[in-house]
Amino acid sequence: MKILRMLLAQTRMNFNWYLFRDGEMMFWALAMPIFFLILFSFAFGFGNATQASAFLVPGLIGAQVLSLGFFGVGVMLAQFREQKVLRRIYLTPLPPWVFFAALVLYRLTLLAFQACILTLAGSLLFHVRFTGQPLNVVAMLAIGALTFVSLGTLVGAVTKTMESANNLASVLTVPLAFLSDAYIPLDRFPAAVSAPLHLLPSTQFIDALRGVMTGGEPLTHFTGWIAILLCWALAAMLLSARVFRWV
Amino acid sequence: MTPTIVVSQLVKRFGSVEAVRGIDFEIAPSTIFGLLGRNGAGKTTTLECCIGLTKPTCGSVRMLGLDPSKPRDLAKLRPRFGAQLQTTSLPEKARVGEMLELYAYYYGLRPAVAALCARVGLEGKERHPIGGLSGGERQRLALALAIQHDPEIAFLDEPTAGMDAYGRRVLWGEVERLRRAGKTVILTTHYIEEAERLCDEICIVQQGRIIARDTPVRLIASAGGGSTVTVEAEGFTPRDGLARAGRWKRDGQSWSLSTEDEPGAILAEVVRAVDEQRAALRALDMRRATLEDAFLNLTGERIGDDVEEAAS
Repeated sequence: MKILRMLLAQTRMNFNWYLFRDGEMMFWALAMPIFFLILFSFAFGFGNATQASAFLVPGLIGAQVLSLGFFGVGVMLAQFREQKVLRRIYLTPLPPWVFFAALVLYRLTLLAFQACILTLAGSLLFHVRFTGQPLNVVAMLAIGALTFVSLGTLVGAVTKTMESANNLASVLTVPLAFLSDAYIPLDRFPAAVSAPLHLLPSTQFIDALRGVMTGGEPLTHFTGWIAILLCWALAAMLLSARVFRWV
Repeated sequence: MTPTIVVSQLVKRFGSVEAVRGIDFEIAPSTIFGLLGRNGAGKTTTLECCIGLTKPTCGSVRMLGLDPSKPRDLAKLRPRFGAQLQTTSLPEKARVGEMLELYAYYYGLRPAVAALCARVGLEGKERHPIGGLSGGERQRLALALAIQHDPEIAFLDEPTAGMDAYGRRVLWGEVERLRRAGKTVILTTHYIEEAERLCDEICIVQQGRIIARDTPVRLIASAGGGSTVTVEAEGFTPRDGLARAGRWKRDGQSWSLSTEDEPGAILAEVVRAVDEQRAALRALDMRRATLEDAFLNLTGERIGDDVEEAAS
């Protein structure tokens, strides 16, 4: 009960401090995805904006999951360490995992909201029909979030400064998003190029998410990929737990 | 009585730099204990070893019988101590009230934001963002966060550095309140007046070692705790008994006497002598030795102009 109250209070403060009072973050988190959806749907749609939008909505949501892990968790942890916020927290009885969980919970709530507005924009503006089971979509998002939060935490663990964490996160997120079926369909590339790209965890996650969301496919279609994603998550978690330093 | 804190043979190296070079002390319960020294003497490192923020290279620390370098012991200790550190920061966009509320939750308390703000002189600032606070206000907020859960032990690292006179009064008042409540306080400072005024016991730290440890009164006495009487009078010369009262030094018309005797009687004799010799008195001054004199004698170093600043 006490722990739950700590977790909720900390999550609420994360919203206040890092979203509501940060105009830039509000813009990047809420307006930018919609702007991308509209721009790319017309730019890549070649007259069929509905088809492009059906492709883009899961892609943009998937890209948000990547940035949630690498920036929202990884870079933030490095920043908290560098600014000596973690040192102060370390002296209080707040269990470190609650601090971490509150950061993740804040970003997951934000992700749910982002996913809702992107889906809504897709269906209202571009008449996309999302045939997937909502529960399957949520489960797939959870698996992706687990994977990329774990990888992001590793970024926050292996870097010493916020700047190096930021660089590493950018180097990972931008290419992963562009080479992973998020914005551009990989089947436009020659097979020799696209085949290895299908080995990326981001490709497997975004493709599975798209299959579940717009294709209405069951999770069992992606058992192999889900297993691989969970392996990434487990490996990153174990490694972060060894490397991560609070102070 | 078992000591609240026992530090033995503490050594801390950062790479090739030896910040702490074998420090030992024990702190009895309900003591206001000061580590006094210049910046870089190793005070902060010692304090950080006590609260588990820094792992000792050698030696050990025990707080309430537990070892703060062990995670399990530290978990038990956290609710029992509070710390105001120099090297922490709080989120810039957080508000004063939010921070106090959040820390209340950390300690399982009901938030009492307004009362706490009033206690540290931040009344009316509950809704101010931390990014907009002055250095002194931040320090006072850090103090409030350190003591709101009524800890048995308070660690204050240079608590008044960068504070104005008002902030110092607030902090000194809170230390007095902790003393009355029977708490143990361990503070580091390079303000001599602060150490003399607040501490029951002082360790003088120089280059990672403790070079003296005692009550302020005894430290002053042990370092030649006499007084200095300075007389400036045309035609005055110390004679007879007065000449033998101590060591006289002459600088032009000004005579100064270092003495171990009670300065009141000496002053009376000086005044009588000046009158008898029909000298024209220009200035007469007496000052007892202070902790600053003791510090200078013990370390051979001056601690700076901070004393006047702290007194203002």
